[in-house]
Amino acid sequence: MSEGSAGLLLKAFLKGRVPPPGLIPEGLLYGFAGISSARSHLSGLTNIERLITTFCHREPDHVPCFPMISGAGRRLTGVSYPEFSQKPEAAAEALLAGFDLIGGEAVVPMLDLSIEAADWGQTMVYPEHSTPHPDYADPLIKDVDGYERLKRIDFKKANRMQAMLETCRILVREVGWKGLVSGFAFGPLGVLNMMRGANHLFRDCVNYPAKVLKAIEAITEVAIEYVEAQCDTGVQAVALDTLFASWNGLSKELWEKIEGPFARELANAVRRRGCVVVVHNCGDGVYFDSQIRFMEPEVITFAALPDDCRDRKELKQKYGDQVVLMGYVDTPLLSYGTPYDVMEECRRQIEDLADGGGFILAPGCEFPPNGPLENALAVVKAAEMYG
Amino acid sequence: MTVEKGNETVVHDLAEAVRAHDERALHALFDDASTSGMTAPEVRRALIGGLEEVRQNLMSNDASIPDFLLSLDRVTEGLGRLSRFPGYDRSSVEDTTVVIGVVEGDPHDLGKNVIAGIYGAYGYRVVDLGREVSRETFVKAVVQEGAEVLALSAMMSTTMVVMRDVIGEVRIKSPGTLVIVGGAPLNDVLAQAYGADGYAESAITVLEETERLMAGS
Repeated sequence: MSEGSAGLLLKAFLKGRVPPPGLIPEGLLYGFAGISSARSHLSGLTNIERLITTFCHREPDHVPCFPMISGAGRRLTGVSYPEFSQKPEAAAEALLAGFDLIGGEAVVPMLDLSIEAADWGQTMVYPEHSTPHPDYADPLIKDVDGYERLKRIDFKKANRMQAMLETCRILVREVGWKGLVSGFAFGPLGVLNMMRGANHLFRDCVNYPAKVLKAIEAITEVAIEYVEAQCDTGVQAVALDTLFASWNGLSKELWEKIEGPFARELANAVRRRGCVVVVHNCGDGVYFDSQIRFMEPEVITFAALPDDCRDRKELKQKYGDQVVLMGYVDTPLLSYGTPYDVMEECRRQIEDLADGGGFILAPGCEFPPNGPLENALAVVKAAEMYG
Repeated sequence: MTVEKGNETVVHDLAEAVRAHDERALHALFDDASTSGMTAPEVRRALIGGLEEVRQNLMSNDASIPDFLLSLDRVTEGLGRLSRFPGYDRSSVEDTTVVIGVVEGDPHDLGKNVIAGIYGAYGYRVVDLGREVSRETFVKAVVQEGAEVLALSAMMSTTMVVMRDVIGEVRIKSPGTLVIVGGAPLNDVLAQAYGADGYAESAITVLEETERLMAGS
């Protein structure tokens, strides 16, 4: 362990925070996980014990759960969506309410997918009861030459990203040892999508890859600063969303050319700070193999099976030893199913994926912002009952 | 001396140009098709043949969405040039009207655009209302256009609930119109709960689903 790591570990302990797991010597971490796993037969584990045991692919007392209450949390504290998205105190309060009232082992500020794009200058729309989004009638990049005109922004003056950092700081301070806090950043292609629109970007990736890459390079430079700054707030993990590494996005070959190398840089930046690299997905047929090759994540979240797996058992067999699997309760089920239906689906997923550790029960994507919160409670309850 | 290509060769090459979304080749092939005396229905079949292959490849994940979009672009361009060929009769092809749009509050129109393109390419008459379309606009268009099919799209769980209201109103004002829904936060159970006749799991399966509904099965 380097002197720097030891100093950071000590600093985290003194401030009453969970240190980034990557700073803890591996032997110590796995020893701790082994002891926790053994102890789980006698008594319940704390949230942190349960997560570390899971990260080390050992069986905890029950599977950890992350209900991904983000936008839905605003309904617990009565704030509007625009306030939730733009005011760090309001966002943190809503997220903490979700963590305290619904439960689970972790909290992540998935405020919306337009934070970075807004700071790059994209005109935004902030609906009262729905997720903020770009004004697609006024994209920042209006033609293919616009990619090369994109000039690096001053990260220190990036209001929404700075607000996100403040949200992370509050969450880290308030959550303390009760759970894990993860940052969140959109991959560079996702950010570009918010400024160009998928209709054009998909075509441009094929027809003008060199121009697209220019913009991706500029976005990645700032994104690295952004994820490093998130790590410096004291979060223990950062989730990176590479949405287009799936059947809903580019071909595998094209993703590996356009975003893969830049996603690797982001993942490395997170890892250098000792934080856990989480890859977040909400597409169909995700390219797990490419994401693992380029980003080497500890955790992959998913909403549907990867492109090379026919069923859950194959997923567990193929990837269960390589990454912690986190998913994947269906959004429509969470929106309109009964709590009993939700619990039954969770039970089936736990049966197929939890054996041997390395599984976190969670919705496939953010819990539906206007969905029934009793279904979020059902996910947490299922983890405790069946996990 | 230029050698004229036979119809079979031109048909094959047109389909290939669509598959490879090769704009330049397609332009040249239109001249060949014209020289060789091909009719509008023959050219149309060649274009759709190429697109159909890409669509099938997309369904089996051997092609990507960008590939399909670009092939669809070539077909749309090609169909726009059919009027110069003998035997062109737009009305004989477009005998079914589809009103399509993204529901109110939802700005995501990629899926809707793909579906509108597919409907257009495969011979439906498409009335595209765009994105963030109000219930009143949908209902008015369905009635005015005498739509056989209404296709609704939503990509957000916060906006998909609007579909139920639109479908309810359409059932009253135009009970014969078939409603098909699609989008990331939906599934077949939810589509049924909203009162839709059909659910398109992806932009690619929308044709089969529409044909199934039209056949009354």
